[in-house]
Amino acid sequence: MHGTLPGEPARRPARGGPSLVLRLALRELRAGLRGFGIFLTCIALGVMAIAGVASISRSLTEGLAREGRKILGGDAAFSLIHREASPRERAVLGARGNVSAIATMRGMAIAGEKGSGLVEIKAVDASYPTVGDLVTEPDLPREELFVERDGAFGAAVDPVLLARLDLKIGDRVTVGGAAFELRAAIRSEPDKIAAGIGFGPRLLMSLEGLRATGLVQPGSLVRWTYRLDLPSNAASDADLARVEAAIARDAPEAGWEVRSRVNADPRFARNIERFAQFLTLVGLTALLVGGVGVANAVRGFMDGKRDTIATLKSLGAPGSQVVAIYLVQVMLIAGLGIAIGLALGAALPFVLVAALGGALPVPIVATLAPGELGLAAVYGALTALAFALAPLGRAHDVPVSGLFRDRVDPERRWPRKRYVAALAVAVTALVLISVLTAFDRRVALTFIGAAAGAFVLLRGVALGLMALARRLPRPRRAAPRLALANIHRPGALTPSLVLSLGLGITLLVALSLIDANMRRQLTQTLPEKAPSFFFLDIPSSQASAFDAHLAAQAPGAAIQRVPMMRGRLVAIKGVPVGQIKAADDIAWVLDGDRGITYAQRLPEGSKIVAGDWWAPEHRGGNLVSFDERIGRGLGLSLGDEITVNVLGRNITARIANFRRVEWRNIGINFVMVFSPNTFAGAPHTHLATATLPDGADAAREAAILRETAKVFPSVTSVRVKDALEAVNGVVSQLVLAIRGASTIALAASVLVLAGALAAGHRARLYDAVVLKTLGATRGRLLTAYALEYGALGLATAAFGLVAGSLAGWLIVSTLMQMDFTLALSGAFLAAALAVVVTISLGLLGTWRILSQKPAPYLRNL
Amino acid sequence: MTDKAIALDNVDLSLGRGAARVHILKSISLSVGRGEAVGLVGPSGSGKSTLLMTMAGLERPDSGRVLVDGTDLSGLDEDALARFRGRRIGIVFQSFHLVPTMTALENVALPLELAGEADAHPRARAELEAVGLGGRLSHYPAQLSGGEQQRVAIARAIAPDPAILVADEPTGNLDEGTGGSIVDLLFALKRDRGATLVLVTHDPSLARRCDRTIRLRSGRVEADAPAQA
Repeated sequence: MHGTLPGEPARRPARGGPSLVLRLALRELRAGLRGFGIFLTCIALGVMAIAGVASISRSLTEGLAREGRKILGGDAAFSLIHREASPRERAVLGARGNVSAIATMRGMAIAGEKGSGLVEIKAVDASYPTVGDLVTEPDLPREELFVERDGAFGAAVDPVLLARLDLKIGDRVTVGGAAFELRAAIRSEPDKIAAGIGFGPRLLMSLEGLRATGLVQPGSLVRWTYRLDLPSNAASDADLARVEAAIARDAPEAGWEVRSRVNADPRFARNIERFAQFLTLVGLTALLVGGVGVANAVRGFMDGKRDTIATLKSLGAPGSQVVAIYLVQVMLIAGLGIAIGLALGAALPFVLVAALGGALPVPIVATLAPGELGLAAVYGALTALAFALAPLGRAHDVPVSGLFRDRVDPERRWPRKRYVAALAVAVTALVLISVLTAFDRRVALTFIGAAAGAFVLLRGVALGLMALARRLPRPRRAAPRLALANIHRPGALTPSLVLSLGLGITLLVALSLIDANMRRQLTQTLPEKAPSFFFLDIPSSQASAFDAHLAAQAPGAAIQRVPMMRGRLVAIKGVPVGQIKAADDIAWVLDGDRGITYAQRLPEGSKIVAGDWWAPEHRGGNLVSFDERIGRGLGLSLGDEITVNVLGRNITARIANFRRVEWRNIGINFVMVFSPNTFAGAPHTHLATATLPDGADAAREAAILRETAKVFPSVTSVRVKDALEAVNGVVSQLVLAIRGASTIALAASVLVLAGALAAGHRARLYDAVVLKTLGATRGRLLTAYALEYGALGLATAAFGLVAGSLAGWLIVSTLMQMDFTLALSGAFLAAALAVVVTISLGLLGTWRILSQKPAPYLRNL
Repeated sequence: MTDKAIALDNVDLSLGRGAARVHILKSISLSVGRGEAVGLVGPSGSGKSTLLMTMAGLERPDSGRVLVDGTDLSGLDEDALARFRGRRIGIVFQSFHLVPTMTALENVALPLELAGEADAHPRARAELEAVGLGGRLSHYPAQLSGGEQQRVAIARAIAPDPAILVADEPTGNLDEGTGGSIVDLLFALKRDRGATLVLVTHDPSLARRCDRTIRLRSGRVEADAPAQA
């Protein structure tokens, strides 16, 4: 029953209710932040991780947006693969502003006896660069850098090539049929990022130089990019959009890939966003692990405040008001932690730019991201709330009678329904925000499911351990008996220790497995059938000669050669691809140009899963075989029509069948394989792979590379191991970022662990002192504690190994779609390390307690 | 309005669970008149403190009725009970239980603030002056002696002008001299305000100062008689 008290005139309105709560909360806070160190650090660390990731990501996006013109080399860029723009297309572009052209392709730089190396060729016209600066050493005028002199064109080169082939400025290399004098080293290339990940060092030359190489043949893999610079009086975003629309209207068949300065590198931008989201989840892990620290700290705090709470209630404060007073205090402290985290996180891009500045390979403009920082603050506040509500809610029912009689350790009961409901609201809000703001909701949901599962399971493990310890027969020796009792007694350390240590070990094991699998996948154990080499740009006229050359150079090698051209999907079932919203994992197919081929027969490593392969001599309409998974993802069925633009022509073909492709072989395979009649007469080159028999060593591979470069200077040879190493370099940087963010989660877990152990030490001071008084030596007590921590650590490590392996497997096989290998050595090491840390941390604190003389404590007990 | 400040009718109360459950108050019926001073005495474990807590609405009986200042406490929920205590009952504890983070003035103002009184601080100041601590307003509990802390606690208990004052061994943590002055203060304030006083004590001299002594043994009223001077 509620309401007005009998005999009471009328209850006064709750004058200044919230302000009274705030006033009392502030008075209470005068005691300082003692006991809140771990709480503050946990919240600050988690918020810092999320805010830092968001700020850096935003600074990168901002850098991309602001540097869009520089990255693109103009206001808009129009790329064609295989072919140059026709005079009419050049005229369409030229009518709107200044046009400059560059051509990029892969090639081999041959340095005589010093060997040869794969290079990323960039050929530029006289106006390069129209935006930004090309910095070379020595700093030569453009004309002097590239001009033909003494039978050799000039070139500027990435110093990496100089080192790789032991060359110096002034030396000569041959590319295709032309000689190049390396006249300068490239220090800074304004539009480098637009090229994406390169497999070789840059070789910068003039367009004339490129033409002299003879590498530009019909069908060779040259990308021609035309950069359009709008007149300064008509260069607004609206002007740009109008110009793009007009060019699309005037040259509808060009089939070029268009990028504008406002969206200079959509793939890079999307990758930043995607990776940032992933790191945000790692940051959220830190926050959730830290949440355990929050709960422990609030529980300890509230236990210490029981008398004050009871006093407040005895003086007329209703339970809900008492909870409100402490909730305000906890949230004020959380606010401080959040502010610290936000400040550190927001400062990260500024520190990064100040420390590394121009050395960063990506454009970054240190930016404050208020929206993202706000989100990080909300995450911090909701986490603090979610973990603090249960211990706070219990304050509602702290009995005043505790002031009259000695306190019996209270039973841990669920708080009242209203607090459970508030907790549910906080958790739901956390889940909703993480899912709704996620780039990939499936990943976010998996993360949430895994986190919830880990919490529930760890709670189960703790309860199970306590139940087991309770049921085990009592050992006769004192030390193990004490250890066993400590595991299950009321107020035991078991639940908080198992939770913090378990989360830490699970995270550590999962990370070590992901790390090991990524590295193994990319470097160590290539699939058995992976080729040793890829050869690009084999002219059709030399295809047979090339086969013979390879057969002679690499006897016994499996050689596969297919025609290859590049084209862009422009329409699916008559709908332009720009209007199609594809799932994230297949959107790349619609993005830019793809390698495509034609074949008479079903390629090796493929299997028809629907429809039929065409007759070898098929003459009817154009047919295409589509990769099954991607086809289904795009909503394609047999008989549907797709349109690709190849060499400036839109070609429509009907889907004759779906293939399942064994991508992991890294062999030659294509999303789309057309019937040969589709491209009859179209100029193209060939792509070949050579798979050496077992045991091919580096020397043999180098010899094949050298010979091939000598005989077929126009053919680009890519050693698969080199390419994978280049990818591995990028992956290493990603792994580093993941490790960085995860370190924060691990730091939070160690902090929580240390906090839980410290709380435990206070609780067992009594035991230690009484036992010492009764004659227990420090050694014996220490043995008991070591047994306790060891048992808990080992049991939790076993759980962490299983749970971490499961999480690692889930992430590697489902999210990364890679083969999973249980590389347990790293995982075991991680788990063992965690156990050692636990025992050491535990014993360290205990030793301090044991070193105290009992008398002063006994007086106060 | 009834002339009884407190009335207990056949009150039974057990504490603990399962095998540890103990029947503490057994069929207790008694009443305390307005303005009366009653001492609860008896050996340890006889149920004195529990009876006091039941009178203050801090323990709910398993059966029976508790009427305080005309209000049946069983009809109030937790929050209503808290508000009732804040206005009608002042409690003085053996261990003072001042809020350590608040000054003497803030401690005394606390029940008034919780009751929504606008003039909480001036009234608290007056109460502290009345108990002789006008010069200690901004001191924290840790800066006060035991006797001073108990004076602050008494000022805090009396500040909302409660009809009933309950005290649990108010001199238990004080030396004899200080205890004596605290008892003088308590009785003086009771007299001035016309409040009802119920206190638990082991001290026969303190019990003798009450109008009436109720002796408990094993949860039952063993004797209920006017105090002998």
